[in-house]
Amino acid sequence: MNLKNDLSDTELLRSMLAGDDEALTLLYRRRQAGVYRFALQMSGSKPIAEDVTQEVFLFLMREGHVFDPTRGSLSAFLFGVARNFVLRRLRVEQLLAPLNDDSDEELPSLHATADLCPLEDLTRAETIESVRRAVLSLPAKYREVVVLCELQDVSYGETAEILGCAIGTVRSRLHRARALLLAKLRPVGEFEEQAGSASVKSARCFA
Amino acid sequence: MNCQKFETVVSELARGQMMAAELRGEALAHSDACDDCALRLRDEQMLTRGLQSLAAEMDSLEAPAMIEANVLMAFRARKEVVAAPVPQRRLPSAYWLVAVAAMLLIAISVFVFRWTNRPVADPREAIRQEQPQEKPKVVENPAPQLVQDVVAPDDDVVPAPPKPRRNRFASLSRPVNNQVANHVTNEIATDFIPLSYMNAASLQDGGQIVRVQLPRSALVNFGLPVNMDRYNEKVKADVLFGVDGTARAIRFVQ
Repeated sequence: MNLKNDLSDTELLRSMLAGDDEALTLLYRRRQAGVYRFALQMSGSKPIAEDVTQEVFLFLMREGHVFDPTRGSLSAFLFGVARNFVLRRLRVEQLLAPLNDDSDEELPSLHATADLCPLEDLTRAETIESVRRAVLSLPAKYREVVVLCELQDVSYGETAEILGCAIGTVRSRLHRARALLLAKLRPVGEFEEQAGSASVKSARCFA
Repeated sequence: MNCQKFETVVSELARGQMMAAELRGEALAHSDACDDCALRLRDEQMLTRGLQSLAAEMDSLEAPAMIEANVLMAFRARKEVVAAPVPQRRLPSAYWLVAVAAMLLIAISVFVFRWTNRPVADPREAIRQEQPQEKPKVVENPAPQLVQDVVAPDDDVVPAPPKPRRNRFASLSRPVNNQVANHVTNEIATDFIPLSYMNAASLQDGGQIVRVQLPRSALVNFGLPVNMDRYNEKVKADVLFGVDGTARAIRFVQ
């Protein structure tokens, strides 16, 4: 198995499709964490993440021959498969509906105090939880770019391959997603105040 | 750089993405000069740190070991299924077996159908099949013996050859001078003439045909012409008895 550790994902996949258990084990251990985390970050549900992870590798067993290495990496392929499974599950469980505005009030604010660095006033756990919930509250098309680009550290190019869109679309969605996250993490009153001063913001210097 | 252009690069700047050094310098310089853009950059940086913290927090998460076991088990099961020899040759042989079974079933059905529709068993039939056919004997007694014992036939009576059940009543509608089945000679017979009230339904339970000899004058009783030159000669007739022993009909044979 040590020799096989040096094999690429594509070679492991080929061996796996030929019936090699060790290749499957290596490939699974190499890629399961990313798939599991992606599913967990997209769904916010451990059972769904576990099911999706299992389904992804079962799919790889059945339909692994459809993977084309010239079109992208196996990692991107697995993310794409996982994305489809997650969205299907979420659609079934009707979890794609945006959360109510009331739920936003429960989110700890990044601007909890009037300090210029309010994030530092929050404990790390609170910050992480607030960000996690803010990400989960995003619409799916924004959530997936945040999960891939920010949390999974996938490049724009690979994200575009996974989502099947242009890199420019990924950039614009990410920009919009970050704006939504900031709006959700900002306290309601301050957010409304800033929304009301949109004219002021738009009047920022253009010099 | 102005605020509008700064807005387009602030996310990349906060995320530490690669960008042209000149553009990066301009953006940082603008944030130093513009409070709103500085606050905007700070918010973006805080968001980036929050997302990085979340990513770091979840970085150690992995799927439970149970999932790996399930996947491996499914893989091995699938491999066994794929590796198992497909009994392709069994399929045609199975078809052959089904075909042979169907043919046997049809043959048995035909045999059973014919067996159930065979002629009524006649105890004298077996005797007749065992013994060679003999010419009918002439009845010494001139009196007509219309009623004969079916179970113990008299030697003077020559039993008629067996006929299939389906043809038993067909002779009723046959025209005169039908050919009578005879193993020895070809005979010509009249149609059956009822001796009493009878119909086809009354003979459904079976019956018996007995060959007798009658005086030729008996033809007159049934409205048949008589050759006066042979008036004293006997004439052969077949008497049809019902199951109750009653003579039902008669036909004359030449």
